[in-house]
Amino acid sequence: MELGYQIPRPALIWILIAVVLVLLPQTIRMPVWISVVALFCVCWRVLIFKGRLDYPSRMVRVAVVLFTLIVSFSQIRNIGIGLDSAASLLALGFVFKLIEMRQKRDIYVVISLCFVMSMVAFLYSQSVLTTLYITLVVAVTMGAMIALNRNSLIADNRGTAKLAIKIAVQALPLTIVLFLVFPRIAPLWAVPMQTGQNSTGVTDEMSPGDISALGRSAELAFRVRFEDGVELAHEQLYWRGLVLDNFDGVTWRRTRNSSAYSVATSLADFRISYEDRIRTVGEPINYNVILEPTQQPWLFGLHLAEDVDDEFFNGRNFELFNNGRITQRLSYDLSSFIQNQTDVLLLDSSRNRNLDLPNDGNERSREFARELRESVSTDRQYANAVLMHFLQNQYFYTLNAPLLGDNRIDEFLFDTMAGFCEHYASSFTYLMRAVGIPARVVVGYHGAETNPYENYLMVYQYNAHAWSEVWFEGEGWVRFDPTGAVSPTRIEQGVQEALRDDPAFMEDDLFSAARFGGIGWLNAMRLRLDAIEYEWNELVVNYDEDVQFELFERLFGEVTEQKLILLMSSLAIIVMIAVGFTVINIEPRIRRTPIDRFYLSVCKELAKMKLVRRRGEGPIAFRDRVCAERPELAAAMTELTELYVRLNYVEKYLSEAEQKSELRALKTVYSKLKAKMPALAGLRRGV
Amino acid sequence: MKADNKFRSEALMLSVNTQGNAADQAELVNTKLAQQVQVIVAEVGKALLGKDHQIRLALCCLFSGGHLLIEDLPGMGKTTLSYALAKALGLSYNRIQGTSDLLPADILGISIFNQTTSEFSFHPGPIFSQLVLADEINRTTPKTQSALLEAMEERQVTIEGETRMLPEPFFVIATQNPVTLAGTYPLPESQLDRFLMRLRLGYPDQRAERELLEMNTERDKVEAINQCLSLEDVVGFRRHSAQVNASDSLLDYVQRIIAFTRGKDEFHFGLSPRGSLAIMRSAKTWALMSGRNHVIPEDVQAILPAVVEHRLRAVSDDDGHSGASLVQRLLNEVDVIE
Repeated sequence: MELGYQIPRPALIWILIAVVLVLLPQTIRMPVWISVVALFCVCWRVLIFKGRLDYPSRMVRVAVVLFTLIVSFSQIRNIGIGLDSAASLLALGFVFKLIEMRQKRDIYVVISLCFVMSMVAFLYSQSVLTTLYITLVVAVTMGAMIALNRNSLIADNRGTAKLAIKIAVQALPLTIVLFLVFPRIAPLWAVPMQTGQNSTGVTDEMSPGDISALGRSAELAFRVRFEDGVELAHEQLYWRGLVLDNFDGVTWRRTRNSSAYSVATSLADFRISYEDRIRTVGEPINYNVILEPTQQPWLFGLHLAEDVDDEFFNGRNFELFNNGRITQRLSYDLSSFIQNQTDVLLLDSSRNRNLDLPNDGNERSREFARELRESVSTDRQYANAVLMHFLQNQYFYTLNAPLLGDNRIDEFLFDTMAGFCEHYASSFTYLMRAVGIPARVVVGYHGAETNPYENYLMVYQYNAHAWSEVWFEGEGWVRFDPTGAVSPTRIEQGVQEALRDDPAFMEDDLFSAARFGGIGWLNAMRLRLDAIEYEWNELVVNYDEDVQFELFERLFGEVTEQKLILLMSSLAIIVMIAVGFTVINIEPRIRRTPIDRFYLSVCKELAKMKLVRRRGEGPIAFRDRVCAERPELAAAMTELTELYVRLNYVEKYLSEAEQKSELRALKTVYSKLKAKMPALAGLRRGV
Repeated sequence: MKADNKFRSEALMLSVNTQGNAADQAELVNTKLAQQVQVIVAEVGKALLGKDHQIRLALCCLFSGGHLLIEDLPGMGKTTLSYALAKALGLSYNRIQGTSDLLPADILGISIFNQTTSEFSFHPGPIFSQLVLADEINRTTPKTQSALLEAMEERQVTIEGETRMLPEPFFVIATQNPVTLAGTYPLPESQLDRFLMRLRLGYPDQRAERELLEMNTERDKVEAINQCLSLEDVVGFRRHSAQVNASDSLLDYVQRIIAFTRGKDEFHFGLSPRGSLAIMRSAKTWALMSGRNHVIPEDVQAILPAVVEHRLRAVSDDDGHSGASLVQRLLNEVDVIE
């Protein structure tokens, strides 16, 4: 091993800790082998330090570069160019740099990369926990910098940690100021989230019977806060997502427009008749929704939701769509008329769409529907009769539904008779369409949990639900929830109550807090934590250009360009001055006694008269010089100096009170001296 | 000369002032001591014209119980000063002339077999006196130097297994030629450190030189010096100087000076704790000699060159003569009031 710079042991330890900490949150998202490579590199680094292994040879380094190149290409081929592939490439380079870190400058590269990796972590998550964790990582990274620049003799880790924390805390006010005022510029480029990532939540296809068990996760879907303290009953909380109106015998889908012509007609229909399609009743309900990233474009809201800020698209069936996939937490304001009637007049195109069924299959169901319809007089009675059928026969609500074959509506209705909301919604809608009543499936969420601490609702993935909408002449679309007929608790009290004893419920979330909702304090803590997270999202994550602008307006009135420039430049100056002072004050602060301070101020006064006390000049020597140069001051100066010398050098110890009284005496003498000074000042001016 | 006047006037002024403020017994003692000092300085000054400040420093060194090193060219009055001091203080006086063949026994003494009594009888060397002048110490070999320096440090000598105490008080005034002269063995730092002060006499100013030329030879002048102080007075000085007060502000100043020597790159090494103790000891005596029982920064500044110069060395210096400029930096750059 060639001799040269040796990285100080404490610095190396700090750096390795920082590297491990900064990579830790990434390991969840990165392929496992990258974590293995990282661990391998860290170990190699430790062994280099111990002298057991050498730095990588030229061959090894070339091999590593080739390896990285191949890996990146394969990653791009497999999962495409995006955040994940870029992050794992960065992580690879980062850990490889670790093993060839020889000089001080290499360490600085690694430390800078630590900071960059910390920022990468924020691309994935901006939660409170992440923020706290990254703050810790930043503090540790600063500890590495401190350890690197400290004399190895005085470097104890506790001191380094203290200093690092001190620096981190000192940076806090500046961070807050920058956070508040730094211009929020729209991103020049967007980091594409990987499409390969599994999207959670409600999808735009529904095939009941394809899977036997529906995993229900306790992940949060969205949070809702009603304005004006509106409270809705649990059975009214239907969060509409998508309308699925196309059924091919197996799968329910959204109707996709097949031709430009149909797009044009539907748009035309939609535009012309939009006002006629709704009949508003009652007062609107205003609420704010914060949606977790879904990787899908659609949004959720109550019945007939309109977005207040007009930033989304309205779908044909009163669905809401974002412009592009939702890759980040999204906050939006909605306004709903929950008692509204929609589509009182149904257009032919729409009617046809909502009556369309495959030509054959499910014969028993069709037969059953026909017979039931004939036994009652109106469509509404028929719908209720179907609900009664579900209620009176041995239908079960379970997440462990058996697989279904070709005629799955038949099989479900007459053979298996067990399923979850999708099965009921699907077969109910089928039975409606079979007798010529327009009907469709709606997917979304139902129910919510109230957070008492911040008074908002939390909707989880296990709240996902499917129900039906049926069109009646003169009434428009009416919501029917056949699941409610089978399992009333599901609708009145929520899925948690309904599935309390079902082992399939949240099978995947063994340690989910919701699973242990029965334990009081645990549940309270979970709600409290979620409340903090909610506030964090409201105040910090959602702080964008508009909010910033609002804040400025509230603080400074109308925001003009001049004001902004003034604000920015004054802040920059304040920061620079603050930094400057800190740099000056890095030297230990001098604590002067009041007497010294006073004497120095006298010296300053005398300096104005060109009687400057030289550095290192003692009080007696100074007095002699002053007396020689300005005989007029001699008497007062002698008295003052004598008193000062007595206070400073004669007395062994002075109490605070004594110091004060002596200082007063000193000031009296000084006033004598001062009485003589104006004359001198005049003299000086004369010169 | 100017400097001396300044210090004298200051001493007078302050002594008068303090007397006015608190006329207790201690102040009176101080005043008495200050007056005694003036008398001695004047008396020794008869032999060494125009060197009042150096005489004061030499007295300060002796009153502090330290040894004195006088370094200058031959013929500058080194021997005169030491002899004059011995006479004025009434101390027994011996002189050792350093040569390259001087042996430790020549300094310490030797046991000689007495044939009449058939016993060894000890013949004490020149070291056994209250004031020893070790002339041209750097002309002797290191072996002899260290014998002398050990005696200085221990204030006792061990000859043939028998420890003999040196007289009390015991002062050594060593003189040396500048090391650049031929035939010298420079004293190492460790031994230089043993001397409380190192003085340089320097050429006399013109007026003193003229006066010198007008008068008879020096030697007569020295013989004419009267004893001004009793032995008790000399010991009393040492006792009183230990009671001089150094305030926090002053200690801060001294600490700043010490820190400066240790923190700056130009200094090859900083002051040792023995060096800092030397500063305090000398400054206290100086304050006492000026009639005060408290130390002021000017006291420290007055003794600083003599006490510190030989203990400091610049990084770029090989022959050990950069101390003076370093001390000047200390005086100019370390502020009295931080």
